[in-house]
Amino acid sequence: MTDRAVVVEGLTKIYPRVKAVDEVSFTVDEGEIFGLLGPNGAGKTTTVRMLLTLIKPTSGRMSVFGIDGLTHPEKVRQMAGYVPQDVSVDGELTGYENILMYSKLYGVPGKERGRRIKDVLGYLDLQDRADDMVSTYSGGMMRRLEIAQTLVNRPRILFLDEPSIGLDPAAQRAIWELVNRLRDEFGATIFLTTHDMNEADTLCDRIGIMDKGRLVIIGQPSQLKATVGGDVLTINSKTPDCVNKLKELGYSIVSESLGGQFDLLVSNGEALIPHLLESLKAVGVEVEAVSLKKPTLGDVFLKYTGARMEGGETWIEARRARRTFRRLTG
Amino acid sequence: MNLKRYLSSVLTLTEFELRKLRHDSSQIWLRSVQPALWLIVFGEVFSKIRAIPTGGVSYLQFMTPGVLAQSVMFVAIFYGITVVWERDLGLLNKLLSTPAPRSTIVLGKALSAGVRGIFQAIAVLILALIIRVNMSLTPLSVLGVFVIIILLGMSFSSLSMALAPVFRTRERMMGIGQAITMPLFFASNAIYPVSLMPDWLKTIAIMNPLSYAVDAMRGLLITGDLSALPIDILAITIATTVLVVLASLSFRKIIS
Repeated sequence: MTDRAVVVEGLTKIYPRVKAVDEVSFTVDEGEIFGLLGPNGAGKTTTVRMLLTLIKPTSGRMSVFGIDGLTHPEKVRQMAGYVPQDVSVDGELTGYENILMYSKLYGVPGKERGRRIKDVLGYLDLQDRADDMVSTYSGGMMRRLEIAQTLVNRPRILFLDEPSIGLDPAAQRAIWELVNRLRDEFGATIFLTTHDMNEADTLCDRIGIMDKGRLVIIGQPSQLKATVGGDVLTINSKTPDCVNKLKELGYSIVSESLGGQFDLLVSNGEALIPHLLESLKAVGVEVEAVSLKKPTLGDVFLKYTGARMEGGETWIEARRARRTFRRLTG
Repeated sequence: MNLKRYLSSVLTLTEFELRKLRHDSSQIWLRSVQPALWLIVFGEVFSKIRAIPTGGVSYLQFMTPGVLAQSVMFVAIFYGITVVWERDLGLLNKLLSTPAPRSTIVLGKALSAGVRGIFQAIAVLILALIIRVNMSLTPLSVLGVFVIIILLGMSFSSLSMALAPVFRTRERMMGIGQAITMPLFFASNAIYPVSLMPDWLKTIAIMNPLSYAVDAMRGLLITGDLSALPIDILAITIATTVLVVLASLSFRKIIS
């Protein structure tokens, strides 16, 4: 058996009025960046919290690096780092104190503490503000500090719950780069949740799509997008005989509109465009415009859940949803 | 989890609670306003009318340990709100994801409530000295008072933290804090002797840990009568232990 970072079998969490997580099974390999993608209330955070032994599953099994989370929760917590979705740094302490506190709670030996804290402060570019109160930090700095708090323990696996929610695009990109560096330089396994399809697509090696507590499909983003079907190539042409010419050339037309716009279902669209234009020119078709639409994870989500995943949620909306959920379950 | 690591977790949590106090010590002075009103307004007036039998000491002397205990209780009883607040922020989730056992979080916070109580008590003692309350402040009596205050702070903060997972919201916890502090204060020997109370109230006062803390501090600071001190300390210790255990058990439910 290879060294699996996470193994989950039939994991279920039932609250009095909600089935938050429903018979979820999957594995995550060591050194992988794995993402759970889904809308609010899909059960992503509950799954992460069960893996971190913060809440007990109703049924099912789970292990982290071969350690059973049900029988040895403290060993799992010692190996893992957790960056929750909500702000989890203490504004009433300085940045340095926030890290010092966690280095003590993780049992980092006193001799090593100073050096490790200095290292993580430097690594996350926080050294200049280390002695300032955290209440004066920006959102991006707080997120980096939260990651610093866990890195001081050198975790084997890092759980990031919506790592870039509420951050501006520049800070978001910085977090993505950081996550990649954490995997490449520390060899940490990364387990993240997100409702941002773009984030899942660019950052994750593999993703699992969750909806209403169930894991609907799992795979590499490119594989998943391939299951939706190929790319859609749209060409505009006023040449009267265009439809027949396209058919003669062997293209399948999914739709055509009156203005002379044709949607073709193709695979590997970028490489096909020059070829297509050449062969159309040869048979006398004049093309005015071409555009290519690649399938997105949104299309994947639509295919497997039958519902559209709304994008562009804000952190405030997510919090509101979470509070409603807490009221329902509390 | 060995004992050394366990204690280190407890002390870490206490340390950082107190560091917060160091960053912003204004709250100690703000929280001294109410005890000041009790001593200066209530105390002075009741001293004049001599309505309450205080057993040979002035009424101001009699009530000073009561006000001291009350100020510590007020600090401690709102710890549950802090816990709910930290859960709402997400701080608690992260704290619980460390290897620190749940009970060390409760104990660490309870201990910090006790130590915070000492700073609060020093403010009230200074106030009492300013208005010339005659107290016996020897190293031993002060040490004894500090021990009592730590236990008192621990017990009421634990009570509050035990209730936090039950009531769950800050608004409710605020209500609970107000609903229990005043009754606990009035159903104790803090501002009048238990002997004046009707029987049903006496029963409550005898079960109220606050009474034992006040009695012990009154013996140490005012009357010098230490005959009941062992029983007082025993009673407060038992109350503290029970409440810390209850809070640790209840704490498991805080986030699920």
